[in-house]
Order: sequence, then structure tokens, then C-alpha cells
Amino acid sequence: MAGQGIERREVLRIMAMAAAAATFPGFSRWGFACGHVGNAATQIKPATYQPQFFSAKEYALVDCLADLIIPRDATPGARDAGVPEFIDFMVWSDPAIQYEFRTGLTWMNAQAERRGGKLFVELDSKAQIAMLEPLAYREKFRDGDEDGRAFFRLMREYTVMGFYTSEVGYKDLDNPALKFYAESPECPHKDDPEHRHLTPVNG
Amino acid sequence: MPKKICDVIVIGTGAGGGMAIKTLCDAGLKVCALNAGRRADPEKDFRNHRMPWEMKYRSFGDPKRKEISYGYMDNEYTQDVWEHDVGFTTAPGTKWMWPRCNAVGGKTNFWGRSSARFGEIDFRAASLDGYDIDWPVTYDEIAPYYTRVEKMIGVASTVQNRPSNTDGSYLPPFHYRCIDRILEAGANKVGIPYLPDRIAQLTVEHEGHPACHFCGNCTTGCDVGAFFSTPWFFLPKAEASGNLELRTNAVAKNILVDENGRAAGVAYIDRKTKQEVEVYGRAVVVAASCVESARILLNSKSRQWPAGMANSSRQVGRNLCDHLYGQSASGYLPQLLGQPSFPDHVSDTTIAWMPRWQNLKNPHEENFIRGYSVYPDGGCTEFPWYADRVEGFGSSFKREMKRRYPAPVSFGVQAPSLPSATNYVDLDPEVKDPFGIPVARLHFQWDENVMKMWEHSKQTCADLLRAAGGEFESSADHPEMPGFSLHETGTCRMGNDPKHFVTNRFGQTHDVPNLYICDASVFLNCTDKTTTLSILAFTLRTCDHMVEKFRRGEHGSA
Repeated sequence: MAGQGIERREVLRIMAMAAAAATFPGFSRWGFACGHVGNAATQIKPATYQPQFFSAKEYALVDCLADLIIPRDATPGARDAGVPEFIDFMVWSDPAIQYEFRTGLTWMNAQAERRGGKLFVELDSKAQIAMLEPLAYREKFRDGDEDGRAFFRLMREYTVMGFYTSEVGYKDLDNPALKFYAESPECPHKDDPEHRHLTPVNG
Repeated sequence: MPKKICDVIVIGTGAGGGMAIKTLCDAGLKVCALNAGRRADPEKDFRNHRMPWEMKYRSFGDPKRKEISYGYMDNEYTQDVWEHDVGFTTAPGTKWMWPRCNAVGGKTNFWGRSSARFGEIDFRAASLDGYDIDWPVTYDEIAPYYTRVEKMIGVASTVQNRPSNTDGSYLPPFHYRCIDRILEAGANKVGIPYLPDRIAQLTVEHEGHPACHFCGNCTTGCDVGAFFSTPWFFLPKAEASGNLELRTNAVAKNILVDENGRAAGVAYIDRKTKQEVEVYGRAVVVAASCVESARILLNSKSRQWPAGMANSSRQVGRNLCDHLYGQSASGYLPQLLGQPSFPDHVSDTTIAWMPRWQNLKNPHEENFIRGYSVYPDGGCTEFPWYADRVEGFGSSFKREMKRRYPAPVSFGVQAPSLPSATNYVDLDPEVKDPFGIPVARLHFQWDENVMKMWEHSKQTCADLLRAAGGEFESSADHPEMPGFSLHETGTCRMGNDPKHFVTNRFGQTHDVPNLYICDASVFLNCTDKTTTLSILAFTLRTCDHMVEKFRRGEHGSA
């Protein structure tokens, strides 16, 4: 019984993915993120994404910020997970946050020009990080940056939403929802009920 | 042509309606069931096995629907089965959310599955602490029905010998996870019970239903019926018996009355054609859930029943209670930082619970009466909700997100409001729904007693978390809005005195002997336990009583 069930679910999942791939305009990297579809999907060359909401200049900044927030390092990052496309789509879909995004991006570029004489994306990564740190770490907060901090929080929230709901993000956390379990899983540390003696493997 | 008259018309197909349909059809009675919405198709409507990246809005849902979405279950996984046409209003100062699944099976499609029996301490609460009035039913009377229901639906748990939580017959429990072992040790230190929840989820095959496959997507509907819902457990057999006619998209408007004031049938509006249709029966069961059931009775005004049907006591709609829900404490367990991920959410909601431990020896131990229960939760979730508690950005942020993934914990309180004259449902005199039916108007405030429980739970859960070696981070500023728990009770309470209660001890209305109420409307109060198991048990008892009345010819010849 159980085996048949899993097989049927797998069929359903593939059907759902095919339907999804057909209806999402321009989400080339989401297509990538959908595993199991076979090699065909991964062989399609990603087209240059045409943003639906953001201007090209705004989108370049969204892309850059998403990459700074969750970078590609030992494991794939926000860009690999199609996060900038996700944010463009969600902002396009949600008039309630459009103003906040638009003014926030403008604020970032205005700050970059004031401090470095360039657009944010044109700064070197060291300068970019230096600009974000006062927005991100409580001990580095500065008076007058309230709007910038609010925007960075929003941008980070949407980056987290996009990344951790992608297959890339699921794999990054080794999300248990990627697997099925034959039995109700059980704590393996019965001899250590308070779990005082575990050895961390991550971080 | 003579009117077609069935034996019983059942309004609603959720826990109460579904159990009524099953029991009455099994007894050979002809049943016509009305459901306000359509049938759900588990393969189309329950997107439970889809990963978020396979969905248009990644499971967050269409942002434009945020305003009309009712609660956490009305989401991208289960859209299109929640009621959005029939609205309601609130009295000034009242906040209320009212999630209603109008698909066949109602909320049993998505329920939380916690299934503890009420105990004698609940039925006799008024005698113990002097507030309100006892139930007209003792635990010993209802116990055999609980046993029958547990056999039908399958409940996984253990025997726990708790005074407030009488034990039943159980399937093997879910195993404890790391977070349970750690919190259990902390709970032992502060003297709070930490035990396997009673959960109506099949850890083994049961009565022809398959065992759970531990996908953890239960509250988006089960596609194999591995936990109880009426469409998987009751309705197919009832339809196969040939005794059930199920009418979908039938929005009940009012109960029809004969010249003697008895129930003659039900008038409903066909959701698609907007036409009014009448069906006739020898008895009527109202099982539309508390607020809706009261609304139907109040909308059934006639010469014989000018204040609404079965409402000579003026108690229909009164004594609405609800569970206060809220996050009493949250934080993380440092012991688990950096551990490999673990499938903590195979049951979706709760594996363990902290059943009522207050006011057990003495009903006035605390500065509140009665008691509350707590559901602990945590570990690896589908979405890392703790992100806003991790500072920064870049590789260090990404690493910390992963390190913390197995460690979050939170505690959700389930605290009963008390019956009161100021919490009730009536009809809005001005507003009608799109089908021309006056809407319900809610009057509800959390009472002082339940707010004391809320404060108490915040302190206790923070203490427990620290005792377990955990880091306490925060408690919610406010409890959730009334209605959030979907555990409303009251509005047609049962009692022996026709002057003060709507139904007798069998859920049969005092005024109209062929009109029965089969949902949590008849409950005296809402206790610290969830409602579904008790709705099933009381409905089974009511229907046994009704079948006996039919046998004796009291509802006309069948």
C-alpha cells in the first residue's frame, strides 16, 4: 500500500510541476529549481529575465541585494534559487508593497551616490557591505537611517521567503520535507534526554 | 404529486453532520443531507504534496487575497473551499474571524486532530468552582460513546492517568522527537505534565484506512484518508447504503414549520441558481457549527416561533465560548544548534501536549478558575519562521539559519473562555448575504478569567523553556483574535430546564421534539480540550436517541 501511495504522489508531483512550468512566465530559474523533471529542463539555456514590475535599474539592485543577503558560497545562493525573479513577481502581484520597495531602492541608490558617487551596484563589494551593515546590525544602527533599515528588513524578508521556498533553499537546510518516512521518526539520543552532549555538525 | 418526505434532513456534513448521516443511514433511515458548498476533490483541491516552488505564490498565496483570507488554513494549498460569499458582522468592539470550509466534510478536511475526551472535571466544573451550571450528562454516560468514536476514527496516544484527561482506547503513539525529550525533562523540573497528544492520525492501518505516510501536510488535507474526516470515513459508506441523498451547494436558509410548530423540512438557496428550494423530512438535524446553527434557528421565524425556532428560552445564540489561542512563549534549544535536520513535523501539528495541570486538587488553586492546556511545537519546520530573529546578512546569516534550523521551540496555549451573557450571536437587522439571508452578528470579548490564563501560560511556558536549558526569546503581545481556534461552543446549550436551555440532554430541542442539534452548540462550555471528538461522541448519542424515537413511531412512520 505505502509503496503504491508514494509512487502515485510522485506522479502527481511531476504533473503539478509540468503545469506550474507552463503557467509561470519567464521563471527560467524556477524551472531549474524543479527537480525530477529530467535533464530536458536543465538543458534549456536561461533567457535573460524581463522584470514585470521593476525597471532594469531597480531590478539590478534587487538582484545585487538578494545576492548579498544570501550569497553563493560553499552552497548555492539567492541568485541560484531565482530569488530576484520571485521578488519581482511578488511585488508586481502586491500593490500594497510596491511603494515601499520602489522608495527603498531609490533610498539605497541615493545613499550610494552620496557616499560613493556611484549607483549601489557599481560599488565594490566591500563598499556595498559597508553600506548594508548599519542597516542590518543593531549595534551599528545610525540615527536617520530608519527608512533604510525598514527597507532592508523588507528586502531581507522577501529574500528569505524566496530562497527558503525554493528547492535550492530546501536543500540548503536539508529540509526533511524533501523525503518520505516509513515510520514516525524517533529521537536517536535516548541515553541523553537533555541532549547536553551532542556534537554540532552545521555552523 | 405528493411531496417527497425523507426521514431526516441533516444540515451540514462536518464532524456532527457526518456522524449523524452515518448513524442514521446505518439504522436504515432515509437521509437528505444539505451542504453549503461543493464536494472537494482531494487530488485537485488538496495540494498537500506540492512543494512551495511548484505553486504560483510559493505557498504564501495571492497577496491580493490577503484581505479576504480567513486564517492559516485558507491558503494556497486549499484555496476555493473556504466560504467567502456568506459574510457576517461584528458588534462595535468585537473582533472575530470565522473560517468556514464549505466543501463537503467541512473543517474535518483540515482539522488539527487533537482528540482528548472531556472528563468528569469538565462536566461538573460548575459544582466544583461555583460558576455557571453543570452539564446534564455525566462522564460515565458519555464514556461508551467516546469508546465507540475512538474505534471508528482511530486515535494515537498513551494511557496517562490524568485527572482532567480520562484515558480511552488508543493506537500506538507518535514517537518523541529530540525537542520532546528535552522539553519533557524541563517540564519534569517545573512539575508540568508533558505527554503524547491524543491525535486522530493513524500510526497503523485502522478499520480499512491506511496508516499515515508521515508527509506532515495534514492541515492542507489528506489525499489517502490517513486521519479522520467525514468524506474519507463516513460519507462513502452512507452513500453506498442507498439511504443518503447529498445535496451540495445548498445554503440552508430556514427550517420549515408545520401547523403544530414542528419541523417540516428545510428551505435552502441553491448557491448556483440562487433559487430557493424546499426539502421535507420527519426530523431535522442542525449541524452547521455553532454560529451558523444559531443563525439558521434565528432565521426560522414563524407565527408559532416568532423569536426563531426552538427559542422560547431566548437562549439560541447565547453563551458563545471559544478557545483563546496564542503563542505563550518561543525561543530555541541551544542543545540542538548545529544538529542535522530531523523530521519533526511528520504529524504537521502536535505530537506532544501539556494537558491541564491547574486547579486539579482544588478548583481555586490559581487566580483563575478551570484550566488550560498547552501544545508545544518546534524543530525543523517547512519554512524557517525564526529568520527575523537572526541578525545580519551574507554567509554568516546563511550559516546561522542552518545552525538554528533544528532548534526553535514555541508553546501555544488553548484556554477556554467562560460562558457569559455578553458573548452571543444574533442576526444583523440590516445586513443580508448574497442569497438574501440575514447574516450573523457576533458579540464577543475575551473574559477576565481567560486573560489571566493567558498571562499565567506566558510565565509558565517561559519557566519551562528555561528549565529545559532553552533560550526564551518572546511571548506574543496579544492572543490571537477570537474565532482563530475554530473551537467555538455554546449557542444552543443542553440542559434539563426548558426555560434556560435550548435542547434536552440528548440534543433534542425542548420546544420542537423533531428538531435536533448535532454540533458543539449544545456544549455548556469549551473546556481545555478540542471539540471534534466530543462533537462526534455527543452526536452519536443524540442519533441513537433519535433512532429509538423513530422505532417507537414518535417521528411519524418511516
